[in-house]
Amino acid sequence: MNEFFFQPFLKEWLEFFTNPQKRVFWLYILTALFIGFIYLFYTKGSSKLALKKLFAKENWYSKSAKADYLTLFINSIVMIFLSPKFITKSAVAFALFYYLSDIIPKYQILNGVFEDWFVAILFTSVLFIIDDFAKYWIHRWLHTIAFLWPYHRVHHSATSLNFFTIFRTHPIEGVLFSLRTALVQGFVVGIFFFLFANQVSLVMLLGANVFSFIFNLFGSNLRHSPVAMPYPKWLERYLMSPAQHHIHHSKAKEHKDKNFGIVFSCWDRWFGGFCHSKANEEIDYGLKDDYGDKEHTLLYLYLVPFNDSFSYFKKKFFKKI
Amino acid sequence: MKKIVMSTIVAGLLAFNANAAETYGPYDVTVKGYKGKKENSVSYTGQIARHTLEKSLKKLAASGTGKDNAKLKAKMMAYYAGKDMGRAIIDPVTKGAFKIKQSKVDEISKGKNLKGKTYKGLIPGFPGQMTGPELVEFLIDKASKTKGGYDPVTGYKYDQLISKFLMGAVFYNQAVDNYLDEKLEANTKPNNKAYKEGKHYTGKEHVWDEAFGYFGIPAHGLKLDGEEAYGIAKKKNLKVADYNKDGVVDLKSEMTFGPAYYAADSDKTGTSYMHTITKAFIDGRELITSANGEALSNDQRAKLKEYASIIKVNWEKVLAEATFKYAGSVYKDLALIKAIVEGGNGDIKKAFKKYSKHWGEMKGFMLALQTSGKDLGETAVKLNRLAGYGPVLVTGGQVIGLDKDGNYEIGGNMNMENYMLHMLKIQKVLDDRFSLLAKKNDMTKKMKDLIKSMGKAAHVEND
Repeated sequence: MNEFFFQPFLKEWLEFFTNPQKRVFWLYILTALFIGFIYLFYTKGSSKLALKKLFAKENWYSKSAKADYLTLFINSIVMIFLSPKFITKSAVAFALFYYLSDIIPKYQILNGVFEDWFVAILFTSVLFIIDDFAKYWIHRWLHTIAFLWPYHRVHHSATSLNFFTIFRTHPIEGVLFSLRTALVQGFVVGIFFFLFANQVSLVMLLGANVFSFIFNLFGSNLRHSPVAMPYPKWLERYLMSPAQHHIHHSKAKEHKDKNFGIVFSCWDRWFGGFCHSKANEEIDYGLKDDYGDKEHTLLYLYLVPFNDSFSYFKKKFFKKI
Repeated sequence: MKKIVMSTIVAGLLAFNANAAETYGPYDVTVKGYKGKKENSVSYTGQIARHTLEKSLKKLAASGTGKDNAKLKAKMMAYYAGKDMGRAIIDPVTKGAFKIKQSKVDEISKGKNLKGKTYKGLIPGFPGQMTGPELVEFLIDKASKTKGGYDPVTGYKYDQLISKFLMGAVFYNQAVDNYLDEKLEANTKPNNKAYKEGKHYTGKEHVWDEAFGYFGIPAHGLKLDGEEAYGIAKKKNLKVADYNKDGVVDLKSEMTFGPAYYAADSDKTGTSYMHTITKAFIDGRELITSANGEALSNDQRAKLKEYASIIKVNWEKVLAEATFKYAGSVYKDLALIKAIVEGGNGDIKKAFKKYSKHWGEMKGFMLALQTSGKDLGETAVKLNRLAGYGPVLVTGGQVIGLDKDGNYEIGGNMNMENYMLHMLKIQKVLDDRFSLLAKKNDMTKKMKDLIKSMGKAAHVEND
């Protein structure tokens, strides 16, 4: 019974580590550990200290960490049932493609204007940049829109970070992320095919968008890890360093609503939220309001966010006169 | 010894049954009181004769010299509307080792024509407000004046238009709108009477056989895969065609024609239209035969209608798949012409002729799809408008109508690039309506594949 029941989920869980389109693909984990180790070795001065920090129990085996693993486990099951209901990027892309063809009588106007390789690079870059831009905004709204915050708070309730904290996500957020990806990527594909027709292709490495691959290969997982690695100041103005994302997870008042960006930090500079990392800054992770260990229970991870979100509506729209 | 004899008999019977399930016939004569000597009640020679008329007419339509040719027109009309004796089978004919048994239409069935069986409804996808037979005669007249059935001024390829349209207006229409429709009712061609006085088959047996004949699959079709059935139509595979091993291909039961050929063409990609349709025909015929010459009960007729429905749905899909495939071919041809016009290398006349051929095939099938007697409603309107009356010309514009003398009027502002988009939309309309499976030449496949390669949108990875 158990074998049968878990079969489809097992495949799903395995895929997290075997699919280069996933953030915890084994190679990305290895490179993040390697980069993290090198950084810690240079800052701590010994490999023993570096390893101790890198594999700190607090990050990998605490109540917070266990909650991360639990949510990965539960969310992947929930998504198997939810995801078939979502709008697909294919539906968005084709709807837009045919809509454009109805209103603009100029199909594939740019077809043949550029070489195929140029169109491929252009498409891959635009897709990556727009996707990241959309992520910035959704992320920002999750923080600033009152009824959305209770769901995103689940992610921020982690009191220590590890590679799997990215899966500490409320399913409502999963719905939003999935919608965002379908809309944004479908939109870009639809427009590109309308303009360039069959010239469009994606530059890939091991089956992943080449830019995502590079981003992940160069330690993206350190964003959620024991290693708050900074970049040089000039680079942090453009690319979000792991240390900058650690600031995003800080409880400190001065760090509130900072660094919403994912790959690019310039969104925060242009639209608000930018903050440089500081050398040797001690960060207290988690939420400003201390719920104790309750934040790592199923009740708080899954149900309380609904209650808090609805309470907001109740307060806002059904106040007693 | 007794045991051995018994088991041999049992094994023999089982083998016979297995065989009966995989070929269409032979089936016993079940007509009550039949006095003749016939032992097999299967008969669909009239339909096979019409397949040879259609194929021959196609050859004739492509044989013009470019001059007004009354003789050619008369000959084409003899194959379309005549019932004369002595008409030679122009296609299919023996090709190398692929020897064909019959060389005259009469050897298959006498006094048959196509016109009497052509769908008489209006054909809105072609200018001139013509009925099916009027359209075919119009196309025959035009074809006879062209060189090789091709008119470079309009881009019409008449042999293709005529052939593919007939595949719908005669074969498809007769099968789905006549034999598998009203003739399955209790009071029409009942099973407890001979089809006609003295005949060796019942009303329902023959009705079913005639529909089967129009599909054009060899009687041993279930033993063939798509590739083999396709190869037979291309006269490439005598070994699989010659089921009775007499060294020749009997057109009456061993040849692949029109609709079955296109079902086989789809099935080469992994669909199973040909087998699904053939199996439903065999199951239906076995049901009728099992009634042993008695009238079919309501339950039996209901079951028969279920088989008919399987045939209708899949046959329609076969025509839609063919239209889809050629819309993709037209798209590719247009892309090539566009590249040549923009300075690329290539022979534009040759490219345009190929485009014209594919367009004729697409249009022919599109019109065929609309001859089932069932109104396709918005789907038909969309398809007809997207394709227009004629292929879009290199300089823009297309046939937009006919003048009072039946000459084409060319106009409109459609250009080739936007016409490419129309091809994509035609593919979409077809897929949306008929839920296609083979989708050959899917011109948005690259976009679909790209989206697929980007991975699933659904995920829970936080930022």
